[in-house]
Amino acid sequence: MRTSLQKKTRIYMAVGFSLLAVILVAFVISLTHLYVYDPNSTNAAAKLLPPSSDHLFGTDNLGRDVFARCMEASKYTLLVSFCGVFIAFVLGTLLGMPAGYFGGITDKFIMLISNSVMCFPGILLALVAVAVFGPSLFNVVWALGLVFAPTFARVYRTGVIGLSSKEYILHAKVLKVNPMRIMLLHIFPNLVPQLLPAVVIGLANMTLFESGMSYLGLGVQPPHASYGKMLADAQSYMTMAPWLIVFPALLLVIYVLGLYFLSEAARLSFGGERR
Amino acid sequence: MNIAEIRNLSMSIYSGKGVPALILDDLNFHIREGEILGLIGNSGSGKSMTAMTIAGLLPESAQVTSGSIEIDGKDVLKLSAGERRKLLGEEIGMIFQDPMTALDPLETVGKNLDEILRIRNIPKEERKSRIISMLETVGFIEPERIYRSYPHQISGGQRQRVLIAGAALLKPKLLIADEPTSSLDTVTTVSILKLLKDICIEMHMTILFISHDLSVVNNFCDRVMVMKDGKIIDSDNTEDILHNPKNAFTAELLTKAKLDPRSLGLEFSEVDPSGSPVLKVMDIATAYRDGFFGRQRAKNTIEGICFDLYPGEVMGLIGSSGCGKTTLAKTICGLLKPTGGNIDHCSGKVGVVFQDPVSCLNPMHTIRWHLNEPLVAAGIKLTKEEREKKILEAIKAVGLEEKHLSRYPGRLSGGQRQRAAIAMCLILEPSVIIADEPFSSLDASTAASILKLLSKINRERKTSILLISHNLRVVRTMCRRVLVMSRGHVVEEGMTEEVLKSPKASATKALIDAERQLS
Amino acid sequence: MEQAKYIGKRLVELFLTLLVVSFLTFAAFSIIPGDTASVMLGPNATAEQLSALRSQLGLDLPMSVRYLEWLKGAFTGDLGNSYAYSQPVISLITDRLPVTIGMSILSLLMVLLISYPMAILSGRRPGSLSDNTLSVFGHVLFALPPFVLSMLIITLASAAFGIYSVGRYVKPSSDFFGYLGCLLLPSFCIALPKIAMTFKFLRASIIEEKASDYVRTSKSHGLSDVSIMFRHILPNSTVSTITVISLVLSDILGGSLIVEQVFNLPGLGRLLLAAISRRDFPLLSGMVFYLALITVLLYFAADIVSALIDPRMRNNREGTL
Repeated sequence: MRTSLQKKTRIYMAVGFSLLAVILVAFVISLTHLYVYDPNSTNAAAKLLPPSSDHLFGTDNLGRDVFARCMEASKYTLLVSFCGVFIAFVLGTLLGMPAGYFGGITDKFIMLISNSVMCFPGILLALVAVAVFGPSLFNVVWALGLVFAPTFARVYRTGVIGLSSKEYILHAKVLKVNPMRIMLLHIFPNLVPQLLPAVVIGLANMTLFESGMSYLGLGVQPPHASYGKMLADAQSYMTMAPWLIVFPALLLVIYVLGLYFLSEAARLSFGGERR
Repeated sequence: MNIAEIRNLSMSIYSGKGVPALILDDLNFHIREGEILGLIGNSGSGKSMTAMTIAGLLPESAQVTSGSIEIDGKDVLKLSAGERRKLLGEEIGMIFQDPMTALDPLETVGKNLDEILRIRNIPKEERKSRIISMLETVGFIEPERIYRSYPHQISGGQRQRVLIAGAALLKPKLLIADEPTSSLDTVTTVSILKLLKDICIEMHMTILFISHDLSVVNNFCDRVMVMKDGKIIDSDNTEDILHNPKNAFTAELLTKAKLDPRSLGLEFSEVDPSGSPVLKVMDIATAYRDGFFGRQRAKNTIEGICFDLYPGEVMGLIGSSGCGKTTLAKTICGLLKPTGGNIDHCSGKVGVVFQDPVSCLNPMHTIRWHLNEPLVAAGIKLTKEEREKKILEAIKAVGLEEKHLSRYPGRLSGGQRQRAAIAMCLILEPSVIIADEPFSSLDASTAASILKLLSKINRERKTSILLISHNLRVVRTMCRRVLVMSRGHVVEEGMTEEVLKSPKASATKALIDAERQLS
Repeated sequence: MEQAKYIGKRLVELFLTLLVVSFLTFAAFSIIPGDTASVMLGPNATAEQLSALRSQLGLDLPMSVRYLEWLKGAFTGDLGNSYAYSQPVISLITDRLPVTIGMSILSLLMVLLISYPMAILSGRRPGSLSDNTLSVFGHVLFALPPFVLSMLIITLASAAFGIYSVGRYVKPSSDFFGYLGCLLLPSFCIALPKIAMTFKFLRASIIEEKASDYVRTSKSHGLSDVSIMFRHILPNSTVSTITVISLVLSDILGGSLIVEQVFNLPGLGRLLLAAISRRDFPLLSGMVFYLALITVLLYFAADIVSALIDPRMRNNREGTL
């Protein structure tokens, strides 16, 4: 007999995955170059055309096919968000686990650094890092990774502290199991319910950050396509060619929304909500 | 004169899917004015739900499908929601099980209780004086201080007294107490029960007392009703129920409730007190770390603990909650560093068994993994076959089978998990096992089997055991010597028989007293 | 007395954090590749001109000295002059503060005033139609980044009402209500996803608190559901949500930087971008430091508020920092 909670989880998962499917399709298209028009080829004669059967999403101010560019952009969106989250995750593990496990001065020190990083508004940090070191893809990724690492560290730390009074951890300590082993084998598998939603939300937030950065010209650089940059370029043509805004915005929002629904499903399925 | 009459009461819960669950099935009983009526049953029997139905605190998914509840002559089921709510506090008072979380942590005790009178438009000054006087009645020597304290600043027993004060504040006719002492230790339980009894007499109240524990009922309730599956299956005077139960189920409950170690026929290893001890604890003191840079708290949690443990000896450690037993256990097994003194393990290993059968095993790993970890941690180099052999040995020694090795803790029962935890100890062949309240969360029959297992280990392997328990019957049967702790110090020590027969310390006397009252 | 001890402890941590923050800021800008002097003087500068400028700017002093000088300046409000604008850094910042601070405060107010009622309506009856509708609505809002939202709103506004005059800005000193009016729409765009986030947490917290024992006790005292919600559930929920609120504040600050671009408002965001493109390090480090300072103070304020509401916090419990 299915409880309403389980039903809700399944609905969220279904919606989440179907939204993500849109982006995945775009990704596949971009990988296989299944385009009618090349995303980077300009065509002065075809400037600012509204959507038609020929150009599904219309063309931009340089005559490029918006549909193709949207597909291209999905590649970088996924790339940046996954790599960024990976870095943040690894850093978060390295910082958060020892902080929570050892406590004391290790904890205070790591938290001091971590909280100090959190004191810089995320966007600010990423922007400045990219500004200072140059706006390459690599820099964008690790800047984002740095910005999000403290969040993961915090999730770990809270999780580890929550588990440290559990008897099986106490047993492990009495047995004098190597602390690294305790953290990785004993504690880590039990933190998955907290980590999974955090990772998925991290993906979503990182995407939003990156699009903000590329909107300001400091994210993924041309000729690589990016939703943020497309939106920035589209701003001057807002009234004339609204399709230049609508389609990139739509795809961006679909991806993020899909991720949020999935993270909710993950949270609910791990028993996150009580009625 | 009946204060309450319940006739043909049935209640179901509608979960929104399929058939509603019948929770209360045609209940018929009455509560006489001024009596203490006990309502006993296992979890799921419907006893708490009966109380909630009478009080009108059912969740929205529950509905009374038939019957009437007459309190003081009027059928409360016919009242509107607002009128029914008015009854709460004025005619019906309630106290619940877990006092730790029953008060709003953001408000002082006084403010918590103040709301009872405030919503009845009683002026501020009068509210305060009535609360202070009620706090005095429930036994607080400094009611003003308690009034100003926050819930986290007072103990569990004190919080329960506060809750009783709140429930009795408007002098209701009926007081419903739902397992009010189940999370308290024996000494506190006895004092709370005494308080309830005194209030009952002084304030002419009637008490409906709900519990799963028949032993509390003795010396306290005038009559007892037994519930099972939503029905009342037995109802009689306390004397008769306890000594001549008419119903088979009641009889079963009676035997299950009491853990009687003497009936188990346990045998233990012989102890040679002249031999070299297996554990030497010398003047140990421990404090919990605190402060910004991990400075020590000024006061030690335990101090001046000194004793020796001999090979094959089972020693008991008793004391009421908060006396430092667990702190001592944690210090001996190495989880806490002592601030003073020395522990000599005499080149033996220490194994630990804790209390909670739920969290003693890591839910993400199989039992085999659990038994392998101690070997890995100790750095013992073994071939695959030798390792497997050791694991099998350990698992069989605790009475489990090979098939349990590949299971996850979630698939094992509480008793099986506790056994697996013991196996984890045994695999390293310890000279001492510290068992911290290993049976308090288990039911009587499972606890009995764990007791048998521990005695077998002691007998066959000559493993010494330091047994921490609040159950004096167990300590009496199992332990050769006993240490009594109170407020971080050892206040008495000696051979079990002597200490328990002629206690010298007041703490020991209080413990023995409480046990006697509850059996 | 306990309260004073707690505040004292938090102050010490605040101070340490600020120290680390200032050090990180300074260090980041010292490690940068590229030489400020050559950027300023152009590629045709001679070696003497470069070294003259360097010593003038104090770039050839050892790092520890430069750090202390900088630190002193940061706390006295003197961060030197901007390279590009040749004005004191501090005046450039204060000129633009009203926009950024104004938007942040407006956004925060919107978040609080909208998410609380939403959460109460949802939490009152979890699983009901109103709850599910609000929750889904919240999820959708969550996913809308402020700058996308801004653009969509501007597009819609111009389509519906004719050209929306982007970039119209009135100083608070000349017309306070006009100033507020300009900031209203941008603040709303920033606030919307934060409303969704706060709503989500608050709702979850309310549902959790509803199941606690003290709610049951209050019910047994005869309190009505409404009373219980406002006197017990909301205060306890707010305690757990304060951490989220401080994160929200930090995000609002960051979000305002971008939204300014879309709405063409003269706030700190534009200044920041200009400083970045010109590699104007005094200005940049000053801005970064002050923005971080504001954030640190906000977290600190959140901690103090927690301690005021929750008596347990005052007993050596960890704060947000």
